[in-house]
Amino acid sequence: MKKLKSTLPNMAIVLTLISVLAGGILAYVNSVTKGPIAQLKEKNLADGIKAVLNAQDLKVQDSKTLDAGDVLYITDKGTAVKTITNGFGGALTVLVGFDNDGNIQGYQVLEHAETPGLGAKAGDWFQKDAKGDIIGKNPGEKELTVSKDGGDVDAITASTITSRAFLLAINNAYKSFKNAEVAAPAIEEKTVSAEPATEETTNE
Amino acid sequence: MSNFKVFMNGLVKENPTFVLLLGMCPTLGTTSSAFNGMSMGLATTAVLVFSNIIISLIKNVIPDMVRIPSFIVVIASLVTILQMVLQAYVPTVYESLGLFIPLIVVNCIILGRAEAFAAKNSAVSSLFDGLGMGLGFTWALTLLGATREFLGTGKIFDFTIFPEEYGMLLFVLAPGAFIALGYLLAIVNKIRKA
Amino acid sequence: MANKLIVSLSPHVHSGDSVQKNMYGVIIALIPALLVSLFVFGLGAAIVTITSIAACVLFEWAITKYILNREKCTITDGSAILTGLLLAFNLPSNLPLWIIIIGALVAIGVGKMTFGGLGCNPFNPALVGRIFLLISFPVQMTTWPTPGQLTSYTDAETMATPLSIMSRAIKDGNAEILNELPDSLSLFLGQSAGSLGEVSALALLLGFAWLLYKRIITWHIPVSILVTVFVLSGLMHWTNPAFASPEYHLLTGGLMLGAIFMATDYVTSPMSHTGQLVYGISIGVLTVIIRAFGAYPEGMSFAIFIMNAFVPLINNYFKPKRFGEVAK
Repeated sequence: MKKLKSTLPNMAIVLTLISVLAGGILAYVNSVTKGPIAQLKEKNLADGIKAVLNAQDLKVQDSKTLDAGDVLYITDKGTAVKTITNGFGGALTVLVGFDNDGNIQGYQVLEHAETPGLGAKAGDWFQKDAKGDIIGKNPGEKELTVSKDGGDVDAITASTITSRAFLLAINNAYKSFKNAEVAAPAIEEKTVSAEPATEETTNE
Repeated sequence: MSNFKVFMNGLVKENPTFVLLLGMCPTLGTTSSAFNGMSMGLATTAVLVFSNIIISLIKNVIPDMVRIPSFIVVIASLVTILQMVLQAYVPTVYESLGLFIPLIVVNCIILGRAEAFAAKNSAVSSLFDGLGMGLGFTWALTLLGATREFLGTGKIFDFTIFPEEYGMLLFVLAPGAFIALGYLLAIVNKIRKA
Repeated sequence: MANKLIVSLSPHVHSGDSVQKNMYGVIIALIPALLVSLFVFGLGAAIVTITSIAACVLFEWAITKYILNREKCTITDGSAILTGLLLAFNLPSNLPLWIIIIGALVAIGVGKMTFGGLGCNPFNPALVGRIFLLISFPVQMTTWPTPGQLTSYTDAETMATPLSIMSRAIKDGNAEILNELPDSLSLFLGQSAGSLGEVSALALLLGFAWLLYKRIITWHIPVSILVTVFVLSGLMHWTNPAFASPEYHLLTGGLMLGAIFMATDYVTSPMSHTGQLVYGISIGVLTVIIRAFGAYPEGMSFAIFIMNAFVPLINNYFKPKRFGEVAK
């Protein structure tokens, strides 16, 4: 077969055909994968809620979405709060579990764009018995801050910004949890300053 | 050129990373660990093989003047398919590579092989070319990823070799990618010339 | 051939200048600072300095002999000793041995020999080593022993440096934190936490005087850096009191050490005096910017490092005067 000449109609027809074909195939693949992707997300969420509330089986009794974008999953074993803040590399989505007194039961980093080897450690760093253990703490008694800012949580080595963002997320989650509990916006919204865009450091 | 030779050409003689120095963005960006490097290499291989086959099949119906946009549409569609499939069925790989999956579209190895090989050869040899180049890219990225992971965290494929606190964090970060790649290139060239 | 080099009959006058002589001149200039650090940090300072120098010399010898296969060994020119000494001056005195050795390997191997040895390296080798360590081992590199613990090494007690206090004051926007700073006289004499060589501004200034007297360096780079930092930090202090006053900026951290000994490295600084002024002012501006807004409290080493990369460009625009060229 001889190669097609580069005339205007030829070019237009070929490009259109290729684009239409590609579009069609993409639409098909999308329809096939949409289900599994959504399912996977749901399963992840369900597993996450169980994990952060430290319970094998629980019933989600209610879920509400707050104005700030935080999502509350109220269960018989406590409340899990999904919250989003700005990390170092982009949005940092954290799921935190509180018991009814507001003690942190567990947490999970659902989505993040932190630097591998640095901020990406947030998923393990603050877990029970790890260096920055926050489990069992109650943000209502004392707001969680890194030791560099005068708090009592050890920041991830060389990732203070990620650590600050993470703790901010936890504090925000706690506020959402409290607000929903009292059902009145009693707690004053604290202004959140933007973090500088540098990954970074330590205490020279 | 026999198909085996075409395959070995990409794997060793014209290795895209160490010899042609193509696709440096994913090479430097995704190799923070051996697993990430390997996943990126395999994802690229998949796109490369299919794009090579498709382009060599449709090369005659594409007028010369619009060949680049046509190739790009083919490649971009393949990458999008790959992204959706990974997200649905291999979420761990999808999460670890993140942004770099859509960036495969602009990886110059793929467009380069489409231009330099697939547009001139049969579908079968294009398949072998794609496989060779892709796997050549994969082993290079895995090696670089393993080097960086080892020096940076003391692990290879998450298998601990020395305690993490002795790792040189710099190698997991971007500057470490440049340094490690530079020395690997020097070593590979030394071996090739010997 | 118009550009033939014409050599007249002997005797010729030799200026007496050599690489070796300059290197040892700089080393002599560093002795006051070394003495101060031995006095302030005791045993730790001695261990760090000796390890760093020994490792640098050893790596230079091993690399020239076994990797580059060169006949002539360059360790006697003193540059490896100087690199080792400067590297040690940039480290805290409680740094574990293995980190110092890695630093020496990176300084000599990556920073210098990879590019072909002395004269070919685009970056100051000691700085390459220091920045590599700072990024790789941020925890160990930024815990500084409290002065006065003469017999302890890695077990020394640590404290915050003046720079980290200053950095915290800016981030919190709270000028009161600055009251925690030691007074400027003790900074001047060297009674504060910090890297080995940076604690005493006085000792470094003595070294500077010696370098000027011996004409090993000219005043352009150090003075332009110091003046720029003084003026710029003065302006910032004037607009926002949370930003520490200029004399603190001059006396703390690696500023003096960097300005006098690191930025003036022959190989990695511009050739012409105008170029050196441009280079010095840029380093000063970058240092203040990084100190005020950067993630790391100290900006000196990064500033020099960045400007090292610009040296070829500066040399291109500010050429030294050529003699013997026919006027157009």
